[in-house]
Amino acid sequence: MSEQSLQQKPGLFMRAYDWLDERYQVRQLVNALLHVYIPRNAKTYYLGGVTMFLFIVQVITGSLLVLYYQPTPDTAYDSVLRITSTVYFGWLIRSIHAWGANFMIIFCMLHMLRVFIQGAYKPPREVTWNAGVILLLMTLAFGFTGYLLPWDQRAYWATVVGSESAGAIPVVGEQLLLFLRGGVDVTSATLTRFFGLHTIFLPVGLALLLGFHLVLIHQQGLANPDRPSTDIDDREFRKKSKTLPFFPHYAVSELIAWYAIIGLLIVLASIFPMGLEEEANPLETPPHIKPEWYFLALYQLLKLVPRTLGIIAPLLAVLALFFLPYLDRNKAIAPRKRRFAMSMMIATLAGLIIFTIWGWLS
Amino acid sequence: MTRTHSFCKRLMGTVLWGMILSILILTMIGAELAQAQPEDPPSPQGPAPPITHTLVGRSNCLICHATGFGDAAANPPDHVDYTNDVCEDCHEAAPGTTPPSPWSDLAPDALPQRIEHPPTEGKNSCVDCHLVLGETHTEISEQWQESVHGQSDVGCVECHGGDARTDEMNLSMDPASGFIGVPTRADIPHVCGSCHADVEEMRQYNLPTDQYVKYIESVHGVRLQTFKDVNVAVCTDCHGTHDVKKASDPTAAVYPLNVPELCASCHADPEYMASYNIPIDQFDIYKTSVHGRALLEDQDVRAPSCASCHGSHAAQPPDSEEVVNVCGKCHTATEAYYKESRHSRIGENAPKCWTCHGTHDVIKPDESMFLHEEPTEQECTTCHVDENTFRMDKARFANPEDRRCDTCHHENSMIMVQVQAILDALIAADASYTLAEETIQEAATRGMIVSDAENQLAQARTSLISARAAVHTTKLPMISQLTEDAIASAQEAYSIAHNRLRENEMRRLAMIIAVVVILINMLAFYALKRELYSQLD
Ligand code: HEM
Repeated sequence: MSEQSLQQKPGLFMRAYDWLDERYQVRQLVNALLHVYIPRNAKTYYLGGVTMFLFIVQVITGSLLVLYYQPTPDTAYDSVLRITSTVYFGWLIRSIHAWGANFMIIFCMLHMLRVFIQGAYKPPREVTWNAGVILLLMTLAFGFTGYLLPWDQRAYWATVVGSESAGAIPVVGEQLLLFLRGGVDVTSATLTRFFGLHTIFLPVGLALLLGFHLVLIHQQGLANPDRPSTDIDDREFRKKSKTLPFFPHYAVSELIAWYAIIGLLIVLASIFPMGLEEEANPLETPPHIKPEWYFLALYQLLKLVPRTLGIIAPLLAVLALFFLPYLDRNKAIAPRKRRFAMSMMIATLAGLIIFTIWGWLS
Repeated sequence: MTRTHSFCKRLMGTVLWGMILSILILTMIGAELAQAQPEDPPSPQGPAPPITHTLVGRSNCLICHATGFGDAAANPPDHVDYTNDVCEDCHEAAPGTTPPSPWSDLAPDALPQRIEHPPTEGKNSCVDCHLVLGETHTEISEQWQESVHGQSDVGCVECHGGDARTDEMNLSMDPASGFIGVPTRADIPHVCGSCHADVEEMRQYNLPTDQYVKYIESVHGVRLQTFKDVNVAVCTDCHGTHDVKKASDPTAAVYPLNVPELCASCHADPEYMASYNIPIDQFDIYKTSVHGRALLEDQDVRAPSCASCHGSHAAQPPDSEEVVNVCGKCHTATEAYYKESRHSRIGENAPKCWTCHGTHDVIKPDESMFLHEEPTEQECTTCHVDENTFRMDKARFANPEDRRCDTCHHENSMIMVQVQAILDALIAADASYTLAEETIQEAATRGMIVSDAENQLAQARTSLISARAAVHTTKLPMISQLTEDAIASAQEAYSIAHNRLRENEMRRLAMIIAVVVILINMLAFYALKRELYSQLD
């Protein structure tokens, strides 16, 4: 058969697409979404896209886990044990979900770092950044709530100390602690609460906010890392600069990155599957309680400075991060011309890494 | 003329003044010299006044008389350099002031009576004065206040007698008021026993009352009573004097964790023990034993100290029946097994716990305790007196390496066949257990969930421990039943863990296939990407 005849006879997929288009004009919508152009010199390192992919992986594996998981103190541990040891490929799903959670946090942070270094948060992309900061906080909340669900000793006590730090926030601390735990102690109320947050509130919220994040990006196109775009009407420039079709050119690279990530997840899940400690016992405090690695820096800080300071300082830091696009008046984009911003970033990163390692070792 | 006269007058005046001054200076030097020689007899300014009060309980005259504390006469200025040991050279003690011990005619089997003293009426004038006297007086008063006795209002007069109501020293410390001063070492058990052996008195404190009788019958007590040997331990040596603490107080010398050190403070002292001709290395040996390590290193108060076997108040010498048969107090199950054994029915010359396990040097037992490394050689007479009588030569078990079955049982005996069978059963069970344990360990390090295998292993462990304990019955069928149980559970645990390892291998294989598929896809997309990009302008 010649190439000609192949093109003349559309495949099943195309025929279905045509069928839909005749009725709902989907082609127009899809074209508007996909056929956008991005600056050819924009380097995203696919970090945002990988984060989004990881979110999708989490939604899929999480939905499978929820088929077997039972959110009560009496049954949670056993159901997780069953998922890990008897359910077909339960171990794989659970381990991918756990590794994926860590990956999502790492990639979300790396993505933010990329946006920061390239100055892509500067006008006109302030709101995109704001949405991003909330996305990061939600991702961390995913980690915190999910960690309790296996209801083993590690899960239980990490939640006890974690929610305790929230209680140190001035004025609202006590109320927040009660709200988080659903009572004075970590009990079945806490478990159902965390389960609800982890499987309904956070996924729906994150999905909606992510949609918003992406719509904003879609509207503005990606930032050009070589040129400040404070003058919003820079269409002239855009026309002149070289661009790349988002679909299929950028999309195919993104897809390769996603493949790499799922491959990595499968390897890690197979070689280092998730275990399970002893069942949670509120009466027996284990010797070394540690929160997840992404809270270690905060945990270590709380050990070293007075509690109120240890809570207020990170809160202020998050606020500063949120309002960064409005605080940073420097119009320059190249890191060389943003000495202050770059030194702040390096100091913050160094602090976080040192405190995390310190917390890990102590 | 007048000038010459007045000159002479002035000269004489000067000479006179010079003489007066020189005499004065010489007298001062003399006095200085005289003071530097305290051996000089006190200046004979009339007869030295006699001592008007009893000397019972009073050896430090100066503590009161140096300054004239209370109504004591102050030292005259020319006495300032005298020490306590010269007072009685001149001042005569009033006769008959030293009363005999209140317990001097206590019947051997009677309990000591309380010291008779006037009612205290809630007062304790003793402490009021002694607290401010300084030196040891202040120290012991403060110690008493902190002690169990001070805290429960057991005052000075309960042990020292006297009248606590008055701060007039001669009345409060009057032998007529039962004052006995510092009790002698021989009297200490009586002093303590006068309250602590009194059932009525002790009821309010919920304390036992048998310590006195136990003590009197103990080696320490017998030596004290019968041989008048005051070097043996009396109550205060272990419990303290004014600073008595509860035995449950971790800082008390008698707190279980501190007991070995306490006993060793005398029993490991070569000089102190020289005349008794008993070993002094028990503490050093004990420290390295399972018991010593558990107590001293792991701070496990359940582990036995010296007192757990030898008794505390009823301290018994090592060979006494009570000490030899004491192991079963804690090792009840093992003792029950032992009682089922043929060993236990041999009688006096039977092998006992210590025969195989030693005493102060008990170590963790294992299968090496069955046989000597080299076969042993015995004569019939090593163990047999005649056909039905055994002999038990303790010296043969002194060396831990000689506490073996074949120390007594002959190599070619019927019993030896059974010993070998028991040993083989245990070794087989231990091997199964170890294999299962290692396999589980490996599966766990590969991240596999092995809690079910661990449950099985725990069962195997229980059976194995029971089998080892059942060795004390010397009955092969019973032991091999238990080792078979252990082997069955261990094999079950092994097969679970082994399956997990196989599953883990499957996972890795599947992982490799998945990764290969992913890589092929990535390559395909990469090729597509290159093609797409090459079409760009
Ligand atoms: C769940 C977390 C997040 C997801 C799934 C996500 C997803 C994305 C994606 C797919 C893009 C397109 C460009 C790229 O791939 O880099 C993007 C861009 C962007 N993201 Fe995020 N993001 C997340 C979190 C954040 C965070 C934490 C921030 C910053 C605080 C942020 C700020 C931005 C900004 C400013 C852009 C525009 C970059 C440009 O125009 O070059 N995002 N995000």
